[in-house]
Amino acid sequence: MLPLASIAQPVLEDANADQILELIESQKGEKAVLLNVWATWCGPCREEFPYLMDLKKKYSDQFKLILVSGDFKDARSEAIDFLEEHGVDFTTYFKKESDQSFINKLSDNWTGALPFTVIVGMNGEVTAQWEDKADFSTFEKELLKAINQKTDQ
Amino acid sequence: MKVLAKRITLLITLIFMVAVTANAQELKLGAAAPLTDLKMDDVSNRSISLAEAAKGNGLLVIFSCNTCPWVARWEDRYLDLANITSQNNVGMIALNPNERIRDRGESMDDMKKRAEKKGYTFFYALDKDHKVADAFGATRTPHIFLFDKDMKLVYRGAIDDNANDATKVKEYFLKDAIEAMVAGTAVVKPSTKSLGCTIKRTE
Repeated sequence: MLPLASIAQPVLEDANADQILELIESQKGEKAVLLNVWATWCGPCREEFPYLMDLKKKYSDQFKLILVSGDFKDARSEAIDFLEEHGVDFTTYFKKESDQSFINKLSDNWTGALPFTVIVGMNGEVTAQWEDKADFSTFEKELLKAINQKTDQ
Repeated sequence: MKVLAKRITLLITLIFMVAVTANAQELKLGAAAPLTDLKMDDVSNRSISLAEAAKGNGLLVIFSCNTCPWVARWEDRYLDLANITSQNNVGMIALNPNERIRDRGESMDDMKKRAEKKGYTFFYALDKDHKVADAFGATRTPHIFLFDKDMKLVYRGAIDDNANDATKVKEYFLKDAIEAMVAGTAVVKPSTKSLGCTIKRTE
């Protein structure tokens, strides 16, 4: 499949780990953050993706959802198709760094398995992280802990 | 500088993250291979243990499967690894731990078809109830563990740095580790990471 024209790709931008970390940091004191690294080839990622979109609808003012696709370069158009199928109308990211560097910069505790989720509280502290899929109630419970984190700690 | 300091602060925070679901702890470098006498069914219709799969200079264990695109990308290097291990008197075994989806492409029949189609020249055994994966702290496929002649872990992680294209690999992590191990020298990069499919454990 040919890549879509750039004007048709507002939902996916290249990013490296430093840019993702900076984006997370910029939310400190403003919003909690849920970072999810996913890929179109990853079954559990596809299964949990609707939960992330449900969370975004339910708590849109209270947290920032950062989605990073770890897809192969040649699957970029599939990633865009998937995002559009799920109604993503905000900017998400496409990993543009080597696995080793990207994983190590993002987390010492991440082995590289997908999906991978990190939740960061209002005060910038990581409150939860896990590999593999989660159900909606787990996402919601952990996100609410982060949203309700006091910023004056 | 301020931005850099912020990044460093966040990075440190991420390193000390709180785990909701405890990820399996990867086997530590230098640790002895666990469950070496556990018999597992192999695609050859025999049963095999890690101890039996090992050769004089050690054993290469690859947690693998039939359904992961990352395995499919790296799989063109499996036969090269079989040759390299064989030439260096190191055993090689791939283990399939994907218990949760045995009925969706990860059964023994599926494994046999995969081994035949891809011409596997190494053991490919079913890790029932992901016992070995749990003992190793394996999290993904493919996930590599290399043991020396004393069955002590000398390398864990990725095959190399380019799943997409074997011709564009810059760092041959595993090949270099095998050669260093057999030569009796230290493995320069004993632990590496790569993206991969989570192991489909039963709930």
